[in-house]
Amino acid sequence: MIQQVKTYCNQCYNGPDPFVMNVEDGVVKSIEPDFDCEKFSPGQGRVCVKAYGLVQKMYNSNRIKNPMIRTNPKKGKDEDPGFKEISWDEALDIVADKLKAIRQKGLTDESGYPRLAVSMGEAGAPAAYGGTFPAFLSAWGAVDFTLGGGEGSKCYHSEHLYGELWHRGFIVVSDTPRNKWTLSFGHNTNASAGVSGVMRHAEARERGYKRIQAEPHLSVSAVTSDEWIPLKTKSDAPFMYAMIYSILYELGWKKVCDLDFIKKRTNSPYLIGPKGYYLKDGESEKVLVWDAVDNCAKAYDDPTIKDAALTGSYRVSNTIEKGPDGEQWEYKEASCRPSFDLFLGHMKPYTPEWAAKICDLPASTIRRMAREYVEHAHIGEEIEVCGEKLPYRPVGISLGKTINNGPGGYQACWARTILAMLVGALEVPGGTVGASQRLNRPHHDRWSSVWPGEDGFFQNFLNPTDTERRGKLQKTRSHYTELVPLVGNTGWSPFLSPVPHAWLWYNETPENWSKPTFPDVWIIYRVNPNMSMYYTDMMLETTKKFPYIVAFGYTIDETNWYADIILPESSDLESLQLFRLGPSTHSEAYWEEYGFGLRQPGGNLPYNTMDMTDICTELSARTGILKEYNDAINAGVILGIRLQGKGYNYMLDPGRKYSREEIWDGLCRSSVRLLTGGKEEHDLEWFKKHGYFTVPYPLIRHFLHPVMVKWGLRYEVPYQGRLKVVGEELKKRLEEKGIRWWEEQLSEYEALPKCEDYTKKWDHVLKKKGLNPDDYPLFLINTRSMHFAWGSNTCLPVLAEMAKYVTGFGGLVINTKIAAEKGIQDGDTIVIESPLKRKKCTAIVREGIRPDTVVLTGQFGNWAMPFAKDLNIPSINELIEPDQELFDAGGSSCDIVRVKIYKEH
Amino acid sequence: MKRWGMVIDMKKCTGCQTCTLSCKVYHGLGPDVVRCRVIEQETGSFPAVERMLFSLRCMHCNEPECMKACPTGATRRRADGIVTVDQDKCMGCRYCALVCPYQARTFLGVEKRYFPENGNLWENMRYKEHQVGTVEKCDFCQKRIDEGLAKGLEPGKDPAATPMCVISCIGKALYFGDLNDPASMVSNLIRERKGFALKQELGTEPSVYYLPRKR
Repeated sequence: MIQQVKTYCNQCYNGPDPFVMNVEDGVVKSIEPDFDCEKFSPGQGRVCVKAYGLVQKMYNSNRIKNPMIRTNPKKGKDEDPGFKEISWDEALDIVADKLKAIRQKGLTDESGYPRLAVSMGEAGAPAAYGGTFPAFLSAWGAVDFTLGGGEGSKCYHSEHLYGELWHRGFIVVSDTPRNKWTLSFGHNTNASAGVSGVMRHAEARERGYKRIQAEPHLSVSAVTSDEWIPLKTKSDAPFMYAMIYSILYELGWKKVCDLDFIKKRTNSPYLIGPKGYYLKDGESEKVLVWDAVDNCAKAYDDPTIKDAALTGSYRVSNTIEKGPDGEQWEYKEASCRPSFDLFLGHMKPYTPEWAAKICDLPASTIRRMAREYVEHAHIGEEIEVCGEKLPYRPVGISLGKTINNGPGGYQACWARTILAMLVGALEVPGGTVGASQRLNRPHHDRWSSVWPGEDGFFQNFLNPTDTERRGKLQKTRSHYTELVPLVGNTGWSPFLSPVPHAWLWYNETPENWSKPTFPDVWIIYRVNPNMSMYYTDMMLETTKKFPYIVAFGYTIDETNWYADIILPESSDLESLQLFRLGPSTHSEAYWEEYGFGLRQPGGNLPYNTMDMTDICTELSARTGILKEYNDAINAGVILGIRLQGKGYNYMLDPGRKYSREEIWDGLCRSSVRLLTGGKEEHDLEWFKKHGYFTVPYPLIRHFLHPVMVKWGLRYEVPYQGRLKVVGEELKKRLEEKGIRWWEEQLSEYEALPKCEDYTKKWDHVLKKKGLNPDDYPLFLINTRSMHFAWGSNTCLPVLAEMAKYVTGFGGLVINTKIAAEKGIQDGDTIVIESPLKRKKCTAIVREGIRPDTVVLTGQFGNWAMPFAKDLNIPSINELIEPDQELFDAGGSSCDIVRVKIYKEH
Repeated sequence: MKRWGMVIDMKKCTGCQTCTLSCKVYHGLGPDVVRCRVIEQETGSFPAVERMLFSLRCMHCNEPECMKACPTGATRRRADGIVTVDQDKCMGCRYCALVCPYQARTFLGVEKRYFPENGNLWENMRYKEHQVGTVEKCDFCQKRIDEGLAKGLEPGKDPAATPMCVISCIGKALYFGDLNDPASMVSNLIRERKGFALKQELGTEPSVYYLPRKR
């Protein structure tokens, strides 16, 4: 008799996607979609290929089947760890003893770094599996989360930082369900936007939207696009700058742009003073705009403004400008211009002909994109959403991961946002919208985070750059609060910090900077940093020096190879926890309902694993922080659900140890109370049967426009007045400490960012090493496949079997002409060589790639992980040696390395 | 009489292989055995290049070459058009696989396992459902259809009566229904979007149709 058990998949950040397990005799036989949530789940109840791999993930014979302890004290790639199986009781005691020793010494070390470091991977997805781990970490106190596993180079880093700054968009996407035209610069929807992304774009294609994919290779997303533009690597920003030029100067901004939006919702009319800061009224200290009808300056929020000037030069009396560190200039009469006027001048050099040379494309292609963009913008049209009329601008531009990291990332994000601004397509139906927020709170509701701040913009919480407050925040090994003001200091900030630096500084500490200490204990959860960070050999040398590593392990991998103890947690289909469903996750999965869903065990445990919640409870009790742990759960650390409210109280007794069922029962009941204002309640058994409980979430709340109008706020574009000040302050602070190695990054803090040919930086890096750039003529880039994007599934044979059907898996994709020149044929074994390393791989010869580019899919290069180690697929991470010059101001750098290829002799 | 058929929208398929794996897991198939899969074909030359995606499976032909070639009567065509293999009658001669113009059949010569060295619980349970020495292929999930119909469900509309690949497709690119009913969704799509079958010139009269991308 088959029993159907409801659960969810959240192996990637686009989830959770509910589904059903078919269970017979305690075995999960198969899984199916859950069509009970078809009406409100953005994936309409379906799950992607990775979820079907979960069955093999559960029964995988290569799993770690018991807790294991290292017997060989020597650590190294060639040192067999000699793992020995032990009981859970022994394992938990050993870990608790290590943790207790830290608490006796103090949570931070002599240098001020937390003695406990925790790394988590998969872009936040582990939260859907970690049970009460957040409560354990909260109960613990100071933890360093900045020893990451690839953040910064593998994500949409610049977009995360600037997207949240400008329009609360951690991820920025087209509003696909209403969109008619999207130009995607390598946004790999079909590999990385989850079920909802794939489905929404498929439905959009069916109704006839147009998507153009601009990127160096014909990716799985380019394949289903209407047009592929073979854009040269890292020339996305120049392409967009030239589109802006074409709109401003060739199509004519007065004719084709949304002037009403530009004047009322942006800082375009703000007057800029002689020093380049916002010009403010001397008395009210409000930013001024020029009223072209009344011919005088007025405060930006003056209701009598008849027509805010966008161009011209003006003289205004009794004004001030405010610069870094509170410096202020007072003027009896100051000459000034609207920021839009400066913007117009700034964009003049960026012609399509200028960009065409950099992009290696005809200028006519750029002009055509600019024309199609404005033609599809529907300026002046409205659409009804939830009974309210909103602007309707069905055009969008999306960016991929490599664009978003390293040189040109800021410029690409700025240009994309400017393009949305020009036609009024920012945060309105059909246009360019933020899909979630993570640096600002609450994560699940962008509207609630928008409050009036300084100068007519909404509030943002950047890390302080003034002398008084700077450096007083908890120290971490990536020093993000000191180097990256934009990343702020909330729960997600450490994960978006300049993560590679924490690792690099262990080996080479820059001038006037302190070398980070090793954490006393390093906990690894659902991440394999030694494979997912670039500069793999450096990672291996570094992690072997860590004094004590506790790994939550699934199979042996390249990081837990160095672990002192491995705790095998129960996997996706085996453990119990509640998680938030909707209303928005990272990508296009914004929901029209939100609530909570249950993940629950489908069958009997095949191996001696333990539920993460039970592990956390045990560790809390054995470490002596059970009270703090229960208090954290009571206070709402888990999913924001407090266990007490009006008419209900499921608070845990701080001194008692609870089973996972007891803990989640209280959280299930309280979650429903929270959603219904205390009116309804459902227990764990109800959730086990029904899977989830949701309430409506109005579609209109996915667009920021109504709340911006409500508060009378403006987006801080095009002029980056605030960033200019922040950058100048940061520069002073670093100069005060004699730090010169961040100067390249500081130069990015421009009010109007300049653009250039970023590929030249890679030439320069090679020349610095004394190498001839012509000897490394190809750009090696990396692309995702749905099968292996997040989820830690490299060890699953069945997913590799699926990936083999898709171009790119298992080798290096090379253009046919280049392959022919080198005598390489499809399937040949070739050598790929970067200045750092050479690796053998299989040639995949195709037409759908630029001759100057080669592509590797996924991240392999495994040597310890069962099955994956026999694949013999190199990883781009093995070939990259980072260079300070290739980091951007946000601390990210991209997956690009110059290589040569040749046939193996 | 109904004639079950499938329509595949090439505009919506992304080649993600969710159909391939959902089918494999549902039917408990071992390494390198698939009942459906999506293959790619690159056309053109740089920079004017396309990659076509073909979601392939048994075409459930009206005139199945495999059935004609089968010496034991293991392959038969049901009245509703579904072409099936009776594993008890199949002797593994593979003539059917040789003559099938769509390479829709796989021979289970030996029982291959993903985890050969270890007695894997799932593999132990599921591989018993298949007989070594016989031929595997798509049967449009006939069990789901038959059980669904018995419960009064409508294949193509009710998920429980519809093939796994169709209900699992995350691009919603697959449709299932009665080709003999001119008002069915599948008949409408074929008519309105100029659906075509593969290798129509062979006269096999497949029950699987493709909707062109019309780029």
